[in-house]
Amino acid sequence: MSNTLRPYLNAVRATLTAALTLENFSSQVVERHNKPEVEVQTSPEALLKPLIVSRNESERVLIEPSVNAIRLSISIKQADEIEKILCHKFTRFMMMRAEGFVILRRKPIPGYDISFLITNFHSESMLKHKLVDFIIQFMEDVDKEISEMKLSLNARARIVAESYLSTVSAFSTREYDYNLANLTNLARVRKPRLDVISGHSKLG
Amino acid sequence: MAEYAFRKINIDALEEDVLLPSDLYDPDPRGPDGVLSDAQAKSTEVRNLISRGDIPGALNAILTDPPYGEGVDEAKNLTKNALLLILNSTRASEIPAILKSLGQEQQDHLMAYIYKGMAAIGQGSDVTGSVLLNWHSQLTEVAGVGCIVRVMTDRRTL
Amino acid sequence: MILLESHSVIINDVLTDRFDKPSRADIQFVDYDNVRFHLSTPSSKSQILLSMGIQCWPDLVKYGAREHLQSEYEGYWLSEQDTEPEYNVSLIIDLEKIPEGVDDRLALISKLAHLKSTAMSSPFLSAFAEQASLQANYKDAAGAQAKDLGEQGETKGDLKIVRYREEEAIYIQASNDRVTVVFSTVFKEETDKVLGRVFLQEFVDARKLNALQNAPQVRYSNREPPLEIRHLPGLHNGEDWGYVTFVLFPRHFSNSSQAQSSINRIQLFRDYLHYHIKCSKAYMHSRMRYRVAEFLKILNRAKPEVAAERRTATGRTFRTR
Repeated sequence: MSNTLRPYLNAVRATLTAALTLENFSSQVVERHNKPEVEVQTSPEALLKPLIVSRNESERVLIEPSVNAIRLSISIKQADEIEKILCHKFTRFMMMRAEGFVILRRKPIPGYDISFLITNFHSESMLKHKLVDFIIQFMEDVDKEISEMKLSLNARARIVAESYLSTVSAFSTREYDYNLANLTNLARVRKPRLDVISGHSKLG
Repeated sequence: MAEYAFRKINIDALEEDVLLPSDLYDPDPRGPDGVLSDAQAKSTEVRNLISRGDIPGALNAILTDPPYGEGVDEAKNLTKNALLLILNSTRASEIPAILKSLGQEQQDHLMAYIYKGMAAIGQGSDVTGSVLLNWHSQLTEVAGVGCIVRVMTDRRTL
Repeated sequence: MILLESHSVIINDVLTDRFDKPSRADIQFVDYDNVRFHLSTPSSKSQILLSMGIQCWPDLVKYGAREHLQSEYEGYWLSEQDTEPEYNVSLIIDLEKIPEGVDDRLALISKLAHLKSTAMSSPFLSAFAEQASLQANYKDAAGAQAKDLGEQGETKGDLKIVRYREEEAIYIQASNDRVTVVFSTVFKEETDKVLGRVFLQEFVDARKLNALQNAPQVRYSNREPPLEIRHLPGLHNGEDWGYVTFVLFPRHFSNSSQAQSSINRIQLFRDYLHYHIKCSKAYMHSRMRYRVAEFLKILNRAKPEVAAERRTATGRTFRTR
């Protein structure tokens, strides 16, 4: 873990804790409606100053507070094309399950990868410090997950290439066995099993 | 489609008692020109103080009556650059003592500038995230979360 | 399963079953690269008709597939007018005339199950033969005018093109000291493209290992086709296209069994690559599922538990927290 990750997360935690002071607030524009002011942006007096916490160019968090909701958008580190793809896939996967994650927004704010919307109803029904914990844990794990997925992709590509080339010609059984042993080791180490390897399905 | 365009007019904005962002705070009594000359004077003063090694004095000077509101972008920029220069040239071990010597209002202004600095990362600013994050965590320790709340609720954008 | 099998499992299983006890069958199934099979018993239980429809048949015929299959499946081969309509190749197996011995039967089944790869191997075999003759000629000529030829470079055989899928093709070229095989492949999705690049790069890197020094040389290029085939019209350039080149040296096909195993591997390369790209995606999906479930657990910790009244065995109530 890099040495600036801790202060970064601490800064996000402090800012988020400060911003999570929400109260019920009926819309001033539409009668008998109650909308997250940060989303509708209709009453300037109900919005507060948006704050950005950033670690470097690619990793930053935008927190937009308002009287009855806050919107938190995260930009996740993407060093290369693979990480970009993996990050996009992962955030999309999560956002498609937004009904389970009650505070997740279905679409990120432009310029960010994933957004959360916490309203006063969420902060009333859930423990505030645990909500903050969740966001911090998410930020921590998502980086880890993406780099692990990248590593496992590279490991698989390596094994696939080696076992193919070692059988193509000048066939040597010893190497092939070695590769098989390698793969079983890998399968044992990685947590969600590499069971797809054994899943035999023919592609048309 | 043209005949429907009038439906998109925001009629609330045409009302007489509409609330504008500028109504939410009192304008600076010094006026834009006064603010600019003030900021220029302060920025030179800060450079002198830094060269003499008087970081607390420099911070104190820059955080007293900073420019805010609209129409004073140049003064804001000058102040921000001078402040980031101070943050960059402070030794990490001196930070807590310096922070404790500041008044509450100055601490709030400093916090606002730290957020402003972080927002500017990646847009050609020469300050690194780790420096700002370090200041942020030290300031939160000294001034508490309330300091961040005051930054958020302050209508006077620095 | 890391490596793909070059034979058809369905043919293998069905024939093993039918050889034991003949019964009716009418099965249509497919294999990689738009190959269709039809296994049926049109006249009687003991007559099994196995037909194969293969997209690149016109190309294969050009490189001697018909003759090759005819000699390989001597005794089972049906002539062109007897071939089942809509298919390219038909074999008839008379269960009353199959060999008796267990080993012989297994050999026959395996041979029939390799029908597709046998058909696909004809252009490779003809390229190998061409290479041998080019090499011999080269040596003769080299004796006479070694210097001229040395500067002139190599002699090259015809470029063989097998359009084995709608948009993708294999290019095979023999020259005096090697056989070059070029695959063109298309990545239909953005993700496939990126993953494909990772995999292909590993193929190139893997050969740097000491243990794999004998493997064929692999090169890949995306966007631009390699020099060998650049002169061909109608090639695609662009982000979605990948070109993989294998360079086979005579040691890879010196004897017939080695040649056959090389061919079986090489012709499945495209399927192998795409299969593993899909596998990686499936694996990542299962990982994401797991991770998202974990996140959900953490989020649910934020919801305060509803205090419920419970009763102990003695009838007293207490609250859980």
